[in-house]
Amino acid sequence: MPHHNTKENANMSFSEEVTHRHGGETLTACYQCGTCASSCPVARLDARFNPREIIKLSLLGEKQEILTGDAIWLCTSCFNCQERCPQDVEIADVIYALRNIALEAGNSPNIYADFASALIADGRIVAISKFVEKKREEYGLPPLKAVHVEALNTILSATGFTKPEKKEASQ
Amino acid sequence: MEQPKVGVFLSDCGKQLSDILDFDALTNFVKNVPNVALIARGSEFWRGNGLKAIVDAIKGGKINRVVVAESLPKLSEVNIAQAVSDAGLNSYLVEVIDLKDHCAWPHRSAPAEATEKAKAMLLSAIERAKLLEPIEKLEFPTLKSALIIGGGIAGMQTAVDLADLGFEVNLIEKAPFLGGLAARAGRFFPTDDCAICIQSPSSDVKTITHTSRKCVYRSGFSEIPNLSILTNAEVVSVEGVPGNYKVTIEKKPRYVDADKCVVCGKCAEVCPVETPDEYNANLNNRKAIYLNVPTVHPQIYAIDEDACKFQECAKCVAVCPTNAIDLGQQTEQVTLNVGSIVVATGFKEFDSSNIKEYHYDEYPDVITNLELARMIDGFGPTGGKIIRPSDGKPAKKIVFVQCAGSRDRRYNPYCSSICCMISLKNASLVKEANPDAEISICYIDIRTTGREHEYYYERARDMGIKFVKGRPTEIYNDEEKGKLIVDVEDALLKRFLDLEADLVVLAAAMVPAEGTAELAEILGLDLEADGFFKEYNAKLRPTETKKRGIYLCGGATFPKDAPTASLHAHSAAMKAAKFLTSGKIVKDQRTAIINEDYCGDCEFCPVMCPYGAITLEPTTEDHFVAKVNEILCEGCGVCVGTCPLNAIELRHSRPNQMSAQMNALLSVNGTSKPLVLAFCCQECGHTAVDSSGMAKMEYPANVRIIKVPCAGIVRVNQILEAYKAGAQAVMIVGCKTDGCHYEVGSAKAEKKMDMAKILLKEYGIEPERLEMFKMVFIEGAQFAEAAKMMTERAAKLGTLKLMGDS
Ligand SMILES: Cc1cc2nc3c(=O)[nH]c(=O)nc-3n(C[C@H](O)[C@H](O)[C@H](O)COP(=O)(O)OP(=O)(O)OC[C@H]3O[C@@H](n4cnc5c(N)ncnc54)[C@H](O)[C@@H]3O)c2cc1C
Ligand code: SF4
Ligand code: SF4
Ligand code: SF4
Ligand code: SF4
Repeated sequence: MPHHNTKENANMSFSEEVTHRHGGETLTACYQCGTCASSCPVARLDARFNPREIIKLSLLGEKQEILTGDAIWLCTSCFNCQERCPQDVEIADVIYALRNIALEAGNSPNIYADFASALIADGRIVAISKFVEKKREEYGLPPLKAVHVEALNTILSATGFTKPEKKEASQ
Repeated sequence: MEQPKVGVFLSDCGKQLSDILDFDALTNFVKNVPNVALIARGSEFWRGNGLKAIVDAIKGGKINRVVVAESLPKLSEVNIAQAVSDAGLNSYLVEVIDLKDHCAWPHRSAPAEATEKAKAMLLSAIERAKLLEPIEKLEFPTLKSALIIGGGIAGMQTAVDLADLGFEVNLIEKAPFLGGLAARAGRFFPTDDCAICIQSPSSDVKTITHTSRKCVYRSGFSEIPNLSILTNAEVVSVEGVPGNYKVTIEKKPRYVDADKCVVCGKCAEVCPVETPDEYNANLNNRKAIYLNVPTVHPQIYAIDEDACKFQECAKCVAVCPTNAIDLGQQTEQVTLNVGSIVVATGFKEFDSSNIKEYHYDEYPDVITNLELARMIDGFGPTGGKIIRPSDGKPAKKIVFVQCAGSRDRRYNPYCSSICCMISLKNASLVKEANPDAEISICYIDIRTTGREHEYYYERARDMGIKFVKGRPTEIYNDEEKGKLIVDVEDALLKRFLDLEADLVVLAAAMVPAEGTAELAEILGLDLEADGFFKEYNAKLRPTETKKRGIYLCGGATFPKDAPTASLHAHSAAMKAAKFLTSGKIVKDQRTAIINEDYCGDCEFCPVMCPYGAITLEPTTEDHFVAKVNEILCEGCGVCVGTCPLNAIELRHSRPNQMSAQMNALLSVNGTSKPLVLAFCCQECGHTAVDSSGMAKMEYPANVRIIKVPCAGIVRVNQILEAYKAGAQAVMIVGCKTDGCHYEVGSAKAEKKMDMAKILLKEYGIEPERLEMFKMVFIEGAQFAEAAKMMTERAAKLGTLKLMGDS
């Protein structure tokens, strides 16, 4: 079942594939000013990642490089870039769209499979640790409520959520 | 009225048409139409002997209506109208049709069907001709005077042009001094000389050569005898009509008598008030009585009412040697009667404090190009030194940030078009005077499109100015270092640079002048989405507005450099002169008429008229009635198409004329296909039909064309009438929305057709039988396609059954 608005069209260019997807609509407005890159805390620290470059590669149709590389998974979703882009490119959302495409193509870091397993099993991506519970208590926050795992799984299966395959260690 | 005697002149266009159409059949057909007094056949009737035949028939009293079937009627109509009028017949008693492009050529594969259509077209022309009425010429006197709003270089140059041509010119400026931005910008590219320099008026007795170009203060500008200048003045209302505008102006007091001030400056010396000098971008203080700079114009001191302490102080009054200061002056209302108005209100820098990341309002060392220009100017607050406003120390490291607020969908999506050049100029001027300065320009694209402009870019590189391709994301204040840090990615190197700066110069976007929207409201003019004044037709009629006699120039329509603003100013002056010079407006009375007995004062037509030509006037009872102002009415017929009570008719396109045409066009089919009627606006829509024929594109002969002034005139009841008369489908063909010759006619028609479709359903008519198309001349192929499509649609739907049909 399609759970996104991708136009199934073999002739579609990669940039069209992105713009037809939820979150990717604004891709083509980019004029490569670099505001996003200089706003991005990750790009400063990790030479593998530069949001401006990701946008450019998407526009140029460098699908393999984007889908199989690490870059798109490094974004922290801080939205600094998106706040400042003068062309209203929703950069962080474009990166989500790219991640979804990569995921469907079977390219995702193993940790996402772990997240998915945890979500399906416990209703949370990260299990609540004793540490977190103690911290919450210290801050005067109420304890986290239990998740209705069965209901969540109904939603997950209705929306077509599947667990990404884990890759071999070499990958 | 005299019985109509119609002369029908059938041209075969040098056998082009008779090879396809059966001309004998056409002549026989026409012969039997009542009121046809004469039929002539020839090879052309728009010139030479053919035209003479028409003239002779009129002069001989044989005919009093003329129908001409010619090719290319767009060209021939003018000749024919002139000759007919010279022969003593009103030129509106003529109907010209195009049997070539509208019939023979597009239907040449089906000659028999084409001949039948030609009969219908001839019948339609004859029936219309019988109902035509003479249209008279209207004349309205115009005053030979103009008002120019805005005393920047554009307004001043328009004023010089119009004054030189002998018109009475009034120039009003809301500031106390003239010059606008040019007075503040110091030096101008592309000549590198002073910004504030204008063409000399010919009234300057020393203007002996045509090379004259002078500093405003010694140009003789204020001595031009037929130019009166009002400073501190703004328009508060405009009444009247083109050629006779009554303008009310509010003139704030200067408190200094222009005839007495000798510019000694003693007043400013004693004035105790210090107030930020907005002229110098608040980089210094000035007194409450002041001149902007020594070279300003007019050379008269002015008092800033917001700063002056008036009677509490009055020190200046005591010291003035000529008693020029009068603290009791009051605001005056001045009324001017002028024939024409030129808007030259310019533009201003965008408020950069909107761009939070650049901290313009927080860090004093973040400035704009205009502020930098004041520092560069030797008359400016720093005497030409480039300093850090925060501590007054020299600024060594300077970073320019381009597109600050431009090309940014959050603020102004457009390119302000001059700021690349302004930064290149300013950076070079700074570097020239301070060779040690380290200057970087952060850009997205460098735009240097005019003559000599690329040279500025070249020179800047030669001088050692650095270019960084990247738009800074943030400007920080590094307190330890005592520097600003410009955080930018050099996108070419994919490297992050933290550029240190003493001074950051924002190439701020250029936006409409303060009060532009209010002035547009007062003048009844439209604005573009970006907030600048809208030109009547951006391609062909720049400087004009939708209102006759009101023109625009300079930065009021969009940011421009001085050469373009000057060009624009001279163009506006020419347009105004053309309008004013004859002392009258002459136009054909092809205007709307209101049937006052039917008018229900619903207020639709005054709102819908694109030219503000209709007002509701009170009648004796508690009732209003719509009145058309004939100077303003452009004859589009949008009001006709709007009035729910059918109380409006347009001369020369009356409903009875249109009905007669429709019935005639649909009376003969001659094809096996369903009849389709296309209402085509006389502008783009009708020319699209021409071009399909000219290019010999084929579409079926069952498609019949009726020409209307504007798509907006077509009424829903006329569409129903067309179905009744036999049309199986109806097309409305108008101009493109933005290209509509009557501003909004096409758009209004489109909306109306959407509503009409709902109504058709109520009447049991399939809404697909009606479609609106928007085309331009070069889209003949689209017309032919649309004609085929509507034919096929109607064929598929089968014969239309109207209510009441058995
Ligand atoms: C920093 C800077 C540097 C520039 N450098 C260059 C350059 O080097 N070379 C170049 O070619 N161009 C340059 N320009 C552009 C140039 O200044 C403009 O092209 C030119 O000034 C436009 O003239 P204008 O008369 O249309 O408008 P303005 O100069 O803006 O004049 C408009 C006038 O109208 C007045 N006004 C506004 N509203 C009203 C109203 N409602 N009633 C009465 N009066 C009103 C204003 O007070 C003003 O005096 C520069 C512009 C800036 C901002
Ligand atoms: S900030 Fe926007 S326009 Fe600029 S490079 Fe990034 S995505 Fe493109
Ligand atoms: S949202 Fe992602 S790409 Fe954008 S600035 Fe944050 S980490 Fe960088
Ligand atoms: S002229 Fe240059 S600085 Fe100004 S908006 Fe256009 S590209 Fe940006
Ligand atoms: S014909 Fe056009 S311009 Fe004239 S009054 Fe009607 S809507 Fe206005």
